[in-house]
Amino acid sequence: MGKGSGRDSGKAKLKLLSRALLAVGLTALAAMIIRIRGSGGTPPHGGGWRELSATDLEPVDKK
Amino acid sequence: MRAILVGLGAVGARSARQLLSSSSISELVVFSKRAAGADAKVAALGGAGVVRPELLSDASFSYALSGASVVLLAAPGLRFRYAEESVRAGVPVVSVSDDPGEVRLLLDLDGEAAKQGVAVAVGAGMVPGLSCLLTAWAVSSMDELSEVHVASLGTGGPACARRHHAALREPVEEWRDGAWERKVASSGRELVWFPEQAGADCYRINRPDTLLIARTFPGLRFATTRAAASRRDRFTSWLPMLRPPHPEGTVGAVRVEVRGLRGGAAETVVVGAVGRPALLAGTVAASMAIRAASGELRPGAGGLASRVEGPGEVLADLSERGVRLVTFEGAAMTPAQ
Repeated sequence: MGKGSGRDSGKAKLKLLSRALLAVGLTALAAMIIRIRGSGGTPPHGGGWRELSATDLEPVDKK
Repeated sequence: MRAILVGLGAVGARSARQLLSSSSISELVVFSKRAAGADAKVAALGGAGVVRPELLSDASFSYALSGASVVLLAAPGLRFRYAEESVRAGVPVVSVSDDPGEVRLLLDLDGEAAKQGVAVAVGAGMVPGLSCLLTAWAVSSMDELSEVHVASLGTGGPACARRHHAALREPVEEWRDGAWERKVASSGRELVWFPEQAGADCYRINRPDTLLIARTFPGLRFATTRAAASRRDRFTSWLPMLRPPHPEGTVGAVRVEVRGLRGGAAETVVVGAVGRPALLAGTVAASMAIRAASGELRPGAGGLASRVEGPGEVLADLSERGVRLVTFEGAAMTPAQ
């Protein structure tokens, strides 16, 4: 009791804090790795690409 | 006609091949910074008797300028002084630089170039360059222009890759409602579908496409420039390049989305090109150099959209030279704003 138990309590709190910080740090590192290696996803779209012909490239008369 | 080519990298070499295939170019003077390896590259070009290799220096450039019909600047680093000297000598200039700082310096030659009656074609590569021509062609079908969004995939040679790497960490200026807005480097993630490629995450990049397009089309409301990049590219852009760039670059693409009005109705035109970026850039640069030498470009300094009379005709010429031009038909994508 007394000073001894106070030191033990303080050590326990410090241990808890260091474990919490370690957990947060590891989580952040994992999140960073996943974010860097992640992909962008695929949006929906319709239609397709067609090659432009010589006719397409002729001057267009605006009406 | 005698043409001067400064730089024999990935883009320069392809430009040289295209120039040598033209009957209008009777002599090609090729300047290179390094003698070692240049002779082998020049020999690989063929064109014996037509190609003259030279070591780049102020004195040798000034000497070669006399009697030249066009100067094509295809080397990295600030080559502004060669452009300035060429304009003063009355020789048109074509520059493939995609460095915004150098592009601004070249645009400042507008007054001098107009006075001399010569053209300075700025940003005559893939992006900018082909992107500007595609924009001009798409705009020609519209009554009123509203937005232009340029996206690119891939890089050319090592110099292009290094510039791309640096551009991802530099702040970006976007054109919005008549004013420039500063944006954070590599922000604005948007998934873009390129011709014949899978979708790629694209981010804002510090490239002069927006500047050149905004100067050419005064009524433009909104313009953006993006490039495909992985999260790894963005995360490491503030570091030196961690591995040597690819000497050639893989297959790439450029996509231009133009929005406006036609016949009172909203119109969206999506056009693009696909191919090796160095090849696309070299073909565009050479085509512009031949036109500049023939006096077909408008006097003054500006992007390609402002220098050519008929973008369709220029694109048709590029198509004949092997550039694959495509248009998207179907449901248009809505870019994240």
